[in-house]
Amino acid sequence: MKLATKLILFISGSKLIIVGLFILVLPFLVGEIASEYTNYMLRMQRAEVMQTIRKNGLDYYLQGESEYGSYTMLKEEYIALEQIDSSSIQDTIRDAKRAVEGDTLSYRILSHVFTDQGKQYLLEIGKTSASIDHYNKPLQRVTLYALIFLIALTVLVDVVFTRILVKPLSLIIKTKLLNRQFPFRRKPELVQTSTTDFKYLDESLVLLMQQINEAFEKEREFTANASHEFMTPISILQSKMENLLRDDLVSEEVAVRVVEMMRTLDRLKRISSSLLLISRIDNEQYTKTDTLRVAPLIQELIAEVDFKLEERNIQTVLTLQQDMELLHVNADLLFQLFYNLIHNAIKFTPSGGKISIADQLLTTGAYQIQISDTGTGIPSEQLPFIFDRFKKSISGNQMGYGLGLAIVKRIATYHQIQISVRSQVNQGTTFILTFATNQVRKAIS
Amino acid sequence: MHVLIVEDEKTLAYEMADFLKKAFYVCDLAHTLEKGIESVSINRYDFILIDLGLPDGDGLDMLHQVKAYNPEAAIIILTARGNLEDRVKGLDLGADDYLAKPFYLLELQSRMQAIARRKFNIKEELIPLGDFQVDLQKRLLLYGHETIELSRKEFDLLSYLLLHKNRVLTRMQLSEHIWGTLAVDDFDSNYIDAHIKNIRKKLNAWASTDWLETVRGVGYRIKIQ
Repeated sequence: MKLATKLILFISGSKLIIVGLFILVLPFLVGEIASEYTNYMLRMQRAEVMQTIRKNGLDYYLQGESEYGSYTMLKEEYIALEQIDSSSIQDTIRDAKRAVEGDTLSYRILSHVFTDQGKQYLLEIGKTSASIDHYNKPLQRVTLYALIFLIALTVLVDVVFTRILVKPLSLIIKTKLLNRQFPFRRKPELVQTSTTDFKYLDESLVLLMQQINEAFEKEREFTANASHEFMTPISILQSKMENLLRDDLVSEEVAVRVVEMMRTLDRLKRISSSLLLISRIDNEQYTKTDTLRVAPLIQELIAEVDFKLEERNIQTVLTLQQDMELLHVNADLLFQLFYNLIHNAIKFTPSGGKISIADQLLTTGAYQIQISDTGTGIPSEQLPFIFDRFKKSISGNQMGYGLGLAIVKRIATYHQIQISVRSQVNQGTTFILTFATNQVRKAIS
Repeated sequence: MHVLIVEDEKTLAYEMADFLKKAFYVCDLAHTLEKGIESVSINRYDFILIDLGLPDGDGLDMLHQVKAYNPEAAIIILTARGNLEDRVKGLDLGADDYLAKPFYLLELQSRMQAIARRKFNIKEELIPLGDFQVDLQKRLLLYGHETIELSRKEFDLLSYLLLHKNRVLTRMQLSEHIWGTLAVDDFDSNYIDAHIKNIRKKLNAWASTDWLETVRGVGYRIKIQ
């Protein structure tokens, strides 16, 4: 998952949890507020009532009686005055039931004891619980709406800000890591950002890429120079041997030995040429302007190695479309690529085996060529290394010097042909070449 | 035939001269570009073999002088650079052929023979080969008036052996001639053997091929008068 996605999910998630909790406790909170407010109102009313009593005198209300009561029409509020004897009653605010005109209702009641002209009186101001609760519901609703609106707003702001914040990172990933074709030909550009972590990451990546490039450049130079420098001494030795072989004074036994030396030299020559070939591909010294028909090329190659197939009694099955053409390729290199793959297949296939070469147009428009054998196979732990230079496969009775597949890989990479391999020990190996849509076409015949 | 070899690797130059002398070429050696140009301005040559990487300059620079002093000379470029651009440039500047080092001297000689045939317009008669005849121009193998079907590689192989008749050619020399140096894992000498086997099979249906000899441990030879 992308960092931006994770951040947004986290932020939204944590906000939702907090909102959820808040909604759960909201009735309680609103109840508390309403209750506090009611208490405050009752105290205010008491102060008002006491002031009025002091102004008008108590008798104005009692009018000789020992009690006074007043309530509103809906019985939401009431006031009661009563003379009491005991002074044990304290000032309180509490919930209690009162019967008013036959109805028993639940009230929040403020009780207040005061003394007037030597007598003790109890003042009660009550408010029905139901009227207190009236405020709760709308208050909750309004709070909830406001909350949802605010949350949506902050989430939106978060999303935008996170995007802006993380953008340099996606840029770094896009320009430095995704679809990078090694070697890195263009000098990487630094991504503009004020976030020091990203800056550091970007600079480190650029530095690493430069170091890799330099190392690769050195290796390429070395390979090219070394193999090139081999060519002159090999030339001299080869010429000397050729002349020696021509000498009439040389006996038959010596001639055989000279040929053996020539064969060893030939091997050295082939290794050097292979390395040179690889470094020339790396240097992009080959043009890619040829158009090549697949089926005739493979048929020609199979004809070249026919004697070998016959000798080892290896069956070949070619299922190729006759009219497929590869575009923008180097014919020599493609010949080399297929030659090496077929050569490789023959090398590791025992007598009586089978080599199949098939192609197919995929629904995506890509074109695939599969070269399968029923050979010794490659153990899975060796599979990642088969395209490396000088990695010898020890399976089978034959051993190459391990550049054949390295060359295949270079040629494929150079042409942007995808190459993959499937293998099972003692079952066989399949090499799959995938050409992109724009690399193939059906020939107009 | 008079040959100038412009090559700074003295040992290699001597070996080339040694080989060509045995094939009755007269050879001069030059180890620098300056010496090479000097030789060209004094003598007339039929062949000039030029190495590209000379200590005092690029062999390609010499081509103009050669064309000025010695326009009829055939030029073969020899190089270890193996660069495609060099090849194109060399051939553009009027070189007749191009050989990448390391090459077999036998191959060099064959190229020179081919150029000579072309340049000096040598009309070859049919070359007798035992009871057969070879037409190099039309690339045909004949038995009387019958044409014997050979594959391209089989004909190349047979004609190469015939051009160097009475000499043993190794499998490497043959393989390089008919296929060049492909970057192949392991040298496969069976490859030549299989072709020889096929040639023998096809020809034996008509007449004996005793003249095509296998020299144990060395290679093959066509032995005829």
